[in-house]
Amino acid sequence: MNKQQLKSTGIIFEVREFCLHDGPGMRTTVFFKGCPMRCAWCHNPEGLSANIQLLVNQSICQHCGACREVCQNPQQCVVCGTCVTVCPQGCRRLCGRSISAEDLAAELRKNEPFFKKYDGGITFSGGEPLAQIDFLEALAGLLHPIHLTLETSGYASSDVYQRAVQSVDFVFQDLKHPDPVQHRRYTGVELEPVLANLNWLKASGRPFTVRIPIIPGVNDTPETLDRFAELLEGRSGLTRVELLPYHQTAGAKYALLGLKYEPPFDPARPLAINLVPFEERGIPCRIN
Amino acid sequence: MTGRIQHLLSHVLDKRHTALRRDVAWTLAEHFCRNKVSPETRAAEGLRTMLSAEKPVFLPEETIAFTRTIKQIPDLYTKTEMEILRKSAYYHEKGCVFNIAPDYASTIKIGLDVRRAELQARLVQANAENDSTAQEFLSCALISVDAVLDLADRYRLEAERLELRHIGKILAHVPHHGARTFHEALQFLRILHYTLWCEGEYHNGLGRFDQYLYPYFAADLAAGRLTEESALELIEEFFLSCNRDSDLYIGVQQGDNGQSLMLGGVDKSGKDAFNALSRLCLKASCELRVIDPKINLRVSSATPLSILEEGTELTRQGLGFPQYANDDVVIPALVKLGYSLEDARDYVVAACWEFIIPGCGMDIPNIGAVSFPSVIDRTLHTSNAKTFDDFMCDVRAELMKEADHITASLTTVKILPGPFVSILCDGRIEAGRDFCEGNHYNNFGIHGTGLSTAADSLAAIRQMVFDEKLISLADLASVVDSDFKSRPELLAKARFGVPKMGNSDPAVDDLGKALLHAFADTWKGRKNNRGGIYRCGTGSAMYYIWHANELHATPDGRLTGEPFAANYAPSLNARVNGPISVIQSFTKPDLGRVINGGPLTIEIHDSAFRSSDGITKVAQLVKYFIDSGGHQLQLNAINRDKLKDAQAHPETHRNLIVRVWGWSGYFVELDKPYQDQIIQRVEMTV
Ligand code: SF4
Ligand code: SF4
Repeated sequence: MNKQQLKSTGIIFEVREFCLHDGPGMRTTVFFKGCPMRCAWCHNPEGLSANIQLLVNQSICQHCGACREVCQNPQQCVVCGTCVTVCPQGCRRLCGRSISAEDLAAELRKNEPFFKKYDGGITFSGGEPLAQIDFLEALAGLLHPIHLTLETSGYASSDVYQRAVQSVDFVFQDLKHPDPVQHRRYTGVELEPVLANLNWLKASGRPFTVRIPIIPGVNDTPETLDRFAELLEGRSGLTRVELLPYHQTAGAKYALLGLKYEPPFDPARPLAINLVPFEERGIPCRIN
Repeated sequence: MTGRIQHLLSHVLDKRHTALRRDVAWTLAEHFCRNKVSPETRAAEGLRTMLSAEKPVFLPEETIAFTRTIKQIPDLYTKTEMEILRKSAYYHEKGCVFNIAPDYASTIKIGLDVRRAELQARLVQANAENDSTAQEFLSCALISVDAVLDLADRYRLEAERLELRHIGKILAHVPHHGARTFHEALQFLRILHYTLWCEGEYHNGLGRFDQYLYPYFAADLAAGRLTEESALELIEEFFLSCNRDSDLYIGVQQGDNGQSLMLGGVDKSGKDAFNALSRLCLKASCELRVIDPKINLRVSSATPLSILEEGTELTRQGLGFPQYANDDVVIPALVKLGYSLEDARDYVVAACWEFIIPGCGMDIPNIGAVSFPSVIDRTLHTSNAKTFDDFMCDVRAELMKEADHITASLTTVKILPGPFVSILCDGRIEAGRDFCEGNHYNNFGIHGTGLSTAADSLAAIRQMVFDEKLISLADLASVVDSDFKSRPELLAKARFGVPKMGNSDPAVDDLGKALLHAFADTWKGRKNNRGGIYRCGTGSAMYYIWHANELHATPDGRLTGEPFAANYAPSLNARVNGPISVIQSFTKPDLGRVINGGPLTIEIHDSAFRSSDGITKVAQLVKYFIDSGGHQLQLNAINRDKLKDAQAHPETHRNLIVRVWGWSGYFVELDKPYQDQIIQRVEMTV
């Protein structure tokens, strides 16, 4: 273990047990805070900012005023967390904690026998884990031989991407849109790095699953689905494609951050999901 | 599901059969009172009167008959008489035999004619010996048997008159004679079960259905009389019959009727006995999605994952069952309490989750309950401990006082006779004594409610009073008296600044464990007045609401009026990491020491069950619980939005089923506090 690993510290916003959709067996998922993308349909808005944030659940606030009484910076919140400890309703919480790879690994390793016995493991998700590559690498190094899975947008330099992929056992690779213009429009970033990384992943022969969020009117036309399928053709370790239909509850957490969820598409529009383009190419595919 | 079962199902769901019912204003109790009739005779005459007033009816297309047409069963005692009786002795609940599992199998095998002959022969002996108690019991049992045979004969005649040849043929054989086929056995079981409710017994369990009916099932299959499909159809019809009269049964809430059915587990010799019939029963319950019978599944660390997956498919239906029991823990624990190994291997659950032995146990497994939070509260108000260890000593002393107090209130426990249920229980005819006099096991069960609230409260006391010295014991006592109004700033601390049981945090889990073990210690060695012992458990039954209502705020930040968790589960206002941590926390105590029963309850969002992958993982979770030494587990597949909507629009959610404490019921039929509690419980799930 080198010095850099020892010093590595990251910001995570949740460690969730028994995540059912993040890989084989019973898994615990670590959510990394911060993401370079801004997908219009993001349902984890608290994972976007790389900073620790104050979340306020207004819906259960009883307006007792305790939080206001203790706040020293009512003009501009400095995320000191003082109000969190005084709210009797539990409305407030700090989202995100800074933790060293060693401490987090120690916390997660407590369940090592459990992961082993029930063929489970740990998943890195976010946010975007690749945005904290040193931390990710250090953490993974400390967790082997526990089965590790990475869920990533693939938006990173090829060096970062390859380091990340090589430190885990399995990858869930997200794809958002096959068209560069639409990709930029709906995610705020270029498609090119994602495709370059996908091609490397395919060529590497490593096992991976592709996940595509299907958004009404954004990427659910037959042509778009066909282009997705095209990208995935050819020899690779692709185990299957999972299509994740857009869910109306995507906006549920924006209010916690004081944000409004205003998607630039019609969320109520019925989805047109067609598996044929994948099936035609012999790519196993399912709707999750 | 066949078309026929579909019709029967909708018939029952639409409650069309209730049109056949009538009200009867009985005056039997007054008559008995005037004539000073003995309890034994009252029970027999009551049953005879009830059954002779019953009228044979058949639902369209049914082949397993017996449906109640009279809503009320006759009272056997006047109000005044009951009051006098209750002054002279302690009669639990209604006073009669209840919450047990009889041995249906022996009678199904030999038929009531043979039982009748046994009773007569034994009566001759009793006459010769001048044993008047036996004389009365046996004569009364004969009256009861004759009343059942008479109604069965009238059913047969009516079937013949209506040219229902199939039913007619079956009733020409059972219940007079022993069943020869699976179908006959089911009809016989239906008659016996039906009769118990008419005799006044309630919470009548169905026992190890897949074991005692297996010989009939296997023989029919081997002889080609039955296929798996036709067997499934019969099982489904029988299960539906359990839903016909259930609204007439007694319970605290609609649905709390104790029709528990046990599947799987080892047989009396210790061999795994999960069989093809067990599998079909799981399937039948899956397909029907009705609240009765309540399915329990015995498993162990040797149970293959595939069986747990089949169980999970049933959990997915949202009925709140199966409830799992772990043979690895339950059997040795029962043996430790004095049950024979053979009997322990035969265990089932009573109405909810109390472990009892069918046929030979006359335990009263729900006779009392200790509220852990009240014990902590009393200690808080009286203790002047200088250290937390001293405080824990005071808690133990208070638990002991509570046990003394309960024991002292139970020195005169008596049960009212039931001659018919007696002949379905082991050895009562030979003994010439009613089952109410007792049987092999006569133990009392004591529930323990609000464990998590109590453990969290102890953690709060330790931290706020002894470690951080924010407040004195006496001041904390007045803070909880004031519902935290006198020190509002402590509320946030108590609720969110102190560790909570359910997060695999030894700091608080060890307190829960200490409390549970202390509870077991205080009851160890105590004898009851019926020759049995006391067993304590982790169940709460309805006490989780009652006890919570009796108690003001608690040091963990639970405010006045907020409920405890039902059974054995994290507090409702505790934030927990997830089901793995919950299992770790709640399997830390030696659960064999609290084997009266009471499941850990975990809620899982219904979306988890959508894929086969999800089913496997939930099954693994069950396995993890079993492997970790858990005693009993109950999972709920639940969707909060659905519950909220059901509360707002009950009319569109008539069939939404939820698990309440030891039973499942229709959500819209529950009182609002129960609904609220369930919604609150679900809000804590991820
Ligand atoms: S302390 Fe909590 S409940 Fe009180 S006003 Fe602030 S957020 Fe609302
Ligand atoms: S986190 Fe600190 S600065 Fe922000 S609102 Fe709370 S008390 Fe004020």
